[in-house]
Amino acid sequence: MSTDGTLLELKSISKSFGAVEVLRRVNLAVRDGEFMTVLGPSGSGKTTILRMIGGFAAPSSGDILLDARSILGMPINRRPFNTVFQDYALFPHMTVAQNVGYGLTVRGVPRAEVRRQVAEAIELVQLGELAGRLPAQLSGGQRQRVALARAMICQPRLILLDEPLAALDVELRKQMRLFLKNIQREIKTTFLFVTHDQEEAIAMADRICVINYGRILQLGTPHEVYYRPNSEFVARFFGDNNLIEGRLVDGDGAKRRIETPIGTLVCAIDGQPDVASAENGRRAFAVIRPESVAFNRANAAENTATGIIAAVSFGGATTVTEVRIDGADHALGMRVMTPSRVEGAALAPGERVSLAWSAAECRLVLA
Amino acid sequence: MIGSRATTALLIAVTAIVFVILYGPIVVPIASSFFVVKHGAVSWDQPSLAAYGALIGNESVLEALRNTMIVGLAAVAGAMVLGTLLAFHYNAGRSKAREILQFVVFLPFLMPPIITGLSLLIFFREIEFDRSLVTVIIGHTVFVLALVYRTVLVRLQSLSRSLVEASYDLGASGFQTFRYVLLPNLSSAMSGAAVLAFALSFDETMITILVTGTDNTLPIRLWAMMRLGFSPDINALVALILLFTTALCLLAARLTLPITRTERSGTAGRRP
Amino acid sequence: MSAGEGAAAGWSGDTLPPATAEARLWRPAIAVLAYGLPLAFIVVPLVAFLAYSFFSVEGGQMRFDLTLLNYRRFFTDEIFLPVFWRTGLLCLEVAALAIGFGYPVAYLLTTLEGRKRYVLAILLVIPLLMSYVIKIYAIRSILGGNGFLNKALLAIGLIDQPLTFFVFNLNAVLLALTALLIPFAILPIFLSLERIPRSLLDASADLGASGAQTFARVILPLSLPGVVAAATFVFVLAIGDFLTPQMVGGNSGFTFGRIIYSQFGTAFNWPFGAALSVILAAVVMAVIAFGALFGGRRSKSP
Repeated sequence: MSTDGTLLELKSISKSFGAVEVLRRVNLAVRDGEFMTVLGPSGSGKTTILRMIGGFAAPSSGDILLDARSILGMPINRRPFNTVFQDYALFPHMTVAQNVGYGLTVRGVPRAEVRRQVAEAIELVQLGELAGRLPAQLSGGQRQRVALARAMICQPRLILLDEPLAALDVELRKQMRLFLKNIQREIKTTFLFVTHDQEEAIAMADRICVINYGRILQLGTPHEVYYRPNSEFVARFFGDNNLIEGRLVDGDGAKRRIETPIGTLVCAIDGQPDVASAENGRRAFAVIRPESVAFNRANAAENTATGIIAAVSFGGATTVTEVRIDGADHALGMRVMTPSRVEGAALAPGERVSLAWSAAECRLVLA
Repeated sequence: MIGSRATTALLIAVTAIVFVILYGPIVVPIASSFFVVKHGAVSWDQPSLAAYGALIGNESVLEALRNTMIVGLAAVAGAMVLGTLLAFHYNAGRSKAREILQFVVFLPFLMPPIITGLSLLIFFREIEFDRSLVTVIIGHTVFVLALVYRTVLVRLQSLSRSLVEASYDLGASGFQTFRYVLLPNLSSAMSGAAVLAFALSFDETMITILVTGTDNTLPIRLWAMMRLGFSPDINALVALILLFTTALCLLAARLTLPITRTERSGTAGRRP
Repeated sequence: MSAGEGAAAGWSGDTLPPATAEARLWRPAIAVLAYGLPLAFIVVPLVAFLAYSFFSVEGGQMRFDLTLLNYRRFFTDEIFLPVFWRTGLLCLEVAALAIGFGYPVAYLLTTLEGRKRYVLAILLVIPLLMSYVIKIYAIRSILGGNGFLNKALLAIGLIDQPLTFFVFNLNAVLLALTALLIPFAILPIFLSLERIPRSLLDASADLGASGAQTFARVILPLSLPGVVAAATFVFVLAIGDFLTPQMVGGNSGFTFGRIIYSQFGTAFNWPFGAALSVILAAVVMAVIAFGALFGGRRSKSP
């Protein structure tokens, strides 16, 4: 491990399959002991990153460093990483115990020792009584845990997880998120988790790396990525954001105004030199989270808008209200999310409302 | 399928005729094996197992049988090793060379045996390699190679790629991966192919006639005897051969068909 | 390895990089065997064989100068080309007969379910497991003067004297090959019949077509790829068989295969035999390609 706690570093990694460029000069540093999630839509290149770290594919250019030493030429079976595959890749002809113990067996660990460690690992993933079963006899969630135990038992420096929860149903997925997070904390191994599900990423990651079209767009904690997206893509990716297009006008260092169809909005600039230095008239978006908008509190706020309620959707714990804003020449709507009430929504379609949000809750990203 | 009574009757009639055509040549020799045969005429009123007894004493036939077994086992062994090797090589990647190689492997099986036989005959003559059981073994190996190759390849391709990747990922060497992960999943296909290949080699006549030296395999011996006429114990031999090859084929079917269901949960491990 | 140097050591995206340390050793060795052995025992013999077709024999000795003599002889000499056509025609007839018998059987097979189908299929395969030489011998005796066929026809009263019509001539070859190859016609036809979705038949009936119409307009056209495959299969097997004609053809049943065979036996003109075989191989490949073209063209399914 190098002095700053970096375990693994991708340096300027590019990958092309024929004419298709899948990764473009990706730089990424994974810290020892963290749970990092690589998040992106299909085709973004996230799985390719994983496969290159694991050794299943070679980069077209660039380098991969472990403890500051290149591992590019290292074959798969020598790399100190283990992978949890998307289809789990459990050996169908071996029992759970044999699957889990495989990594030790091929290393020549004595049988008694293998048995002991396997028992421990199986306990850790709570699959105690199933040690003698075949994969075909297990449920999806159970297979997943076997794959995890198998990857953990060799005590790798890094565990790579390739969308492991994709095949599970919603409830099970939520349970497994917690389970994986807890295990990671307990064994303190670095996890690199690839997914396209942003809820999953936010729930589990210490840091999220958002990727699209082979480029890393943003790297930060879930909180940062969620509340302070630095690009239109990231802002849109975390669903439900209100993005209002406009043109930048003047501002001081801490705030900047943007002219939009619904009026001039005041947004806070938070560590965004590109936004701060962009010229006036530049196209940009004001990003407002639906839960940051309040109804009918116009007097106290820096940003306001008025409009008519178009629809109210009950979503369980929260209710989403769609409002059509006055003053926009084409239909411009904003989404407002509020906690649901037992008595039902306070507002109904057709009613007139005013919306308010502060500058701090209004973020700018360049178009 | 749609059909009236008349249609079904017609179909059954034709099928019956086909059965007569197919089984006619079989039934007569086999039935005759259970009766006394004098001067080529079967005495249907005198059942006897004399033919089977005489068979045991027939030296030339037994020797030919022994040669057939040697050729069969050797050819199958060779085809298994080479066929498996080729299947792995083909599966390991994509290239024009691989496609051409596969085509070459299929040729001896697809082309009329006379061509395979003649080309080997010319080849052996040019490199001054005497014709013998060895040349027969080579001929049979080349012939059944395509069958073994294809069977193993199909099974290999059906195994999820991520199984091999997982094995490497967990630290296994190539050999360990083959031994612990691939072989167990390929074994039933391989044994089925081996048995079927043996059955094919057992009865192979055309290539053998062309590339054999002085040694006879069973089909060659029978072919030679056709000129001279058959002794009654040949009927017994025929019956036994039929029994043997039928058993082989049933065994082959039994071995290849039950496939262990490989991991299939959610999306299969394809690359993005 | 310093950073950047190890990058992409020449691996294309098409093959996996050596996944294990020993793979670097084994890979080339396996490649050598994989390419080397087939090269030695399949490609080289075929090349030698092809080369031979351009040599000639003079005064009992081989002459290794290249010449088109053999090919010219095939086309100009009045024996060979006619025999070739006749053999081709014969094999087409065999294919036609085999399909004629095989189609109804394949059809019957599709109407059966489960156990019955399984048993019938096995019964159709078993004759193939019989010793080839003995089968032909038995067919010959059946077709012969004292054989079963004549006895049966006599008994029915169709003829009053045993016919020599059936044996030791081309008819015998035709009948023998057909009897041998019917099972090979059944399988491809069966497979293509099986592929026809039941819903199409139901739709046809629903629209008012009779059984015969449905067969003629829906089933038959959709099963054509299988029929073509069967024809190709049987034709190639028939034209390559030189032993059956040898056994049942007698002196008047000369097929192309027998002529080729005799070049390597009594006639002792290997180059000429090679040339004739090359022509045979070319025809076979053309037929296979033709069959693949037609058979492979899937009927557009809904």
